[in-house]
Amino acid sequence: MAGSGGNGSGPGRAGASDVRIGVFLCHCGGNISDVVDVKRVAETIGKLPGVALSMTHMFVCSDPGQALIEQKVKELGLDRVVVAACSPTLHQLTFRRTLDRAGLNQFLFEHVNVREQVSWVVEDKEQATRKAIRLISAAVSRVRHQVPLEKRRIPIHPAALVIGGGVAGLVAARDLAERGMKVMLIERRPFLGGRMAQLHTVFPTGERARDLMSQLVSEVVRHPRITVLTNAHVAGSEGFVGDFRTRIRIEPRGVDDKLRLSGNAIAACPEETVNEFDFGLSRRKAIYMAYPGCYPPLPAIDWHSCTKCGKCVAAVGGKGINLEEQPQEVQFHCGVIILATGYDPYEPLYGEFGYGIFPRVITLQQLNRLLDREGPTGGRLVASGPPPRRIAFIHCVGARQVEGVHQPQADGRIRDYCARTCCTASLHAALEIKKQHPETQITTFYQDIRTYGRGHEEYYERASEQGVLFIRYKPTRPPKVEPDPYEHSPLIVTGDDLLTGGLSIESPADLVVLATGVAHHDISELVGVYCCAVGTDSFLLEVHPKLRPVEMSTSGVFLAGCCQGPMDINEACAAASAAASKAALHIAQAQIEMDPFIARVDDTRCSGCETCLGVCPYEAIAKDEARGVAKVNEALCTGCGTCAAACPSNAIQQLGFSDVQVLSELEALLEPASA
Amino acid sequence: MAEQQVRERTEPAAAPAGWEPRIIAFLCYWCSYTGADNAGTSRLKYPANVDIIRLMCSGRIDPELIMTAFARGADGVMVCGCHIGDCHYLTGNHKTMARMPLVRQVLADLGIERERFVHEWVSAAEGEKFARLVRQVTEQVRSVGPLNWPQRMRERGVGHGMDLKSWGE
Repeated sequence: MAGSGGNGSGPGRAGASDVRIGVFLCHCGGNISDVVDVKRVAETIGKLPGVALSMTHMFVCSDPGQALIEQKVKELGLDRVVVAACSPTLHQLTFRRTLDRAGLNQFLFEHVNVREQVSWVVEDKEQATRKAIRLISAAVSRVRHQVPLEKRRIPIHPAALVIGGGVAGLVAARDLAERGMKVMLIERRPFLGGRMAQLHTVFPTGERARDLMSQLVSEVVRHPRITVLTNAHVAGSEGFVGDFRTRIRIEPRGVDDKLRLSGNAIAACPEETVNEFDFGLSRRKAIYMAYPGCYPPLPAIDWHSCTKCGKCVAAVGGKGINLEEQPQEVQFHCGVIILATGYDPYEPLYGEFGYGIFPRVITLQQLNRLLDREGPTGGRLVASGPPPRRIAFIHCVGARQVEGVHQPQADGRIRDYCARTCCTASLHAALEIKKQHPETQITTFYQDIRTYGRGHEEYYERASEQGVLFIRYKPTRPPKVEPDPYEHSPLIVTGDDLLTGGLSIESPADLVVLATGVAHHDISELVGVYCCAVGTDSFLLEVHPKLRPVEMSTSGVFLAGCCQGPMDINEACAAASAAASKAALHIAQAQIEMDPFIARVDDTRCSGCETCLGVCPYEAIAKDEARGVAKVNEALCTGCGTCAAACPSNAIQQLGFSDVQVLSELEALLEPASA
Repeated sequence: MAEQQVRERTEPAAAPAGWEPRIIAFLCYWCSYTGADNAGTSRLKYPANVDIIRLMCSGRIDPELIMTAFARGADGVMVCGCHIGDCHYLTGNHKTMARMPLVRQVLADLGIERERFVHEWVSAAEGEKFARLVRQVTEQVRSVGPLNWPQRMRERGVGHGMDLKSWGE
């Protein structure tokens, strides 16, 4: 260990000279010290003004290493600490807590990255040593200007709002309620169940989707702490983590629980419209139930198709149906919000693989409805006539699209991501068909088979064993669907098979199934209300895909399920449980701690020009009209510092990243202590 | 006019022996700094000429910071942030995107070679891109030689005038 006290004369550096800085340089067991001459670094740094201690340690993050910091802080009266070790993303919090234990404010600290950004990337030992000296000198220079900061603490209202009544929302609501929280679950549509209710059976267990769904729904609706609102959506929200006040608008259902003989009311309705539950394969009345066993077990009125003729009211003797019901608005006060708004299946464009032109071209979602015994055809693949003998599946429809090959969608983008669920779902459906009609010939046009989940690869194996043909097409040359010129079958699918060296394969088909993927559900209103980050694929974006996978950058807002990206049901449920746990953690703490690096306005410098108001992504700055200056709402400020960069008078400083801090770091980097 | 001068200045590039470019990189914490860490964990090698200053968001990068870096002796400056659409602070990098062309224009007006300033998006996963960028920037700054801002500004009759003390505490 090299220790050296010092108050040597540095190169005329600005800043308080009465500070006592302790610098701890980590060997990281050789990870750093094999490349960086740590002894020389410690000696050089020890000569900087204000550095009371500069020493090395084998593992500063270890218990003895941390104990050493504590001891030296107390023994030498250090009032600033610099640790030069690995990346701050790994151990910055560790050392802040060490300072806390040593009785020093944890923000009188600077972490220097001499492993990921020095010893692991610089080959030359001399250059690595010099770079380490520069970086640590800069940190020493910067830490002088650190001031004690306090973490912000915000009380949390112990209730949660879950938006979306599909499988992810239901799981999240149930988990939160089981932890003792008051939960409000809202669903925009008149019935719970979401996309899962439209499936026939689910992989990899083969259970019926609606059996699982009704089990889950009954757990949720019977739970004393959960309130379920259907036909309800967020109309607006105020507040922030711990204290969200959300306005919920409930559209009229037109039916209440006094209704008896709802079947009579439905039968009496003269208006018919396309049934979106069956993806247009059937029609339904203007007063309808989405599916057998749906919740709430009450019909709803579709106001777009209802003419208010009153025949349903007459059919039930006037009780339980109110055609003049008005929308209501309620306010819900909660600490956390879970977004479980789900997805929309990709809707092929008119003419894409013949979709919309040939009635025998259907989507995977429609196939699922056809396979359903309670579906529009009672489980038969065609409404009338013999079952299809030859079926062709085309994979990656509305997924993994290629710029220039595929037509952009309405939003001007192509769907270039893998939709993840459709490979297994298609093979699952193909096997289902094989089970009912073993003689069916199934041909699959695919790019790659991505049956990635546990128990999913078996679908691929079983499908291969049962004679499903796999034809691999090139992403830039998707197969074509045309009427069969030989008229042996209604359609013919032509594709180049990469596995046979690009041989053109013609596959006659009685039915073509487009394995349409998961596309984002448009929630631009919610994105605006909760300032959500959205990825380039239009799905919601988490803070970090690995370290904080279910949190949004807006504190207190969490993600569950397919609003974040394509997921199968297992993954959506896992995400929902994770989101519920994270949300519960927030609430359990009763108050939440947030980094103190927020913006602060110096009233004496602020001219009230309002430049900062326009650049803040979180609308956290408002003008104090009485005093004519900008005012930061500290609970809304996330600490990006954009306003500090924009302020023409330097009146806004970002705590922890003030101009003087960044500039002294910059200055020291360019005029380092001589090595 | 800048083009002409750039060419004039690039030709001599009379770098003293042993001269190494000094380059400052301003990185946002969430994407680009993590991307730089990713280069480290992948053990990619790159020159030691680039020193990183970590900020929470690239939106914090005040153009004055870049000018000060040049005025204080940097030969080159890099600015990296999250890709558009990936900003941890929603739209912080949109402000960066709007500001950087102005910076480029001011630098051109001051006769500073375009090789000395680079603005690129680097995601947390793009360690390889970051390492490549550092190599590329180091080489292109090396090719135009030392900046010597104070001397150059004196020649052009512009005072560098940026004093740390004027920023206040």
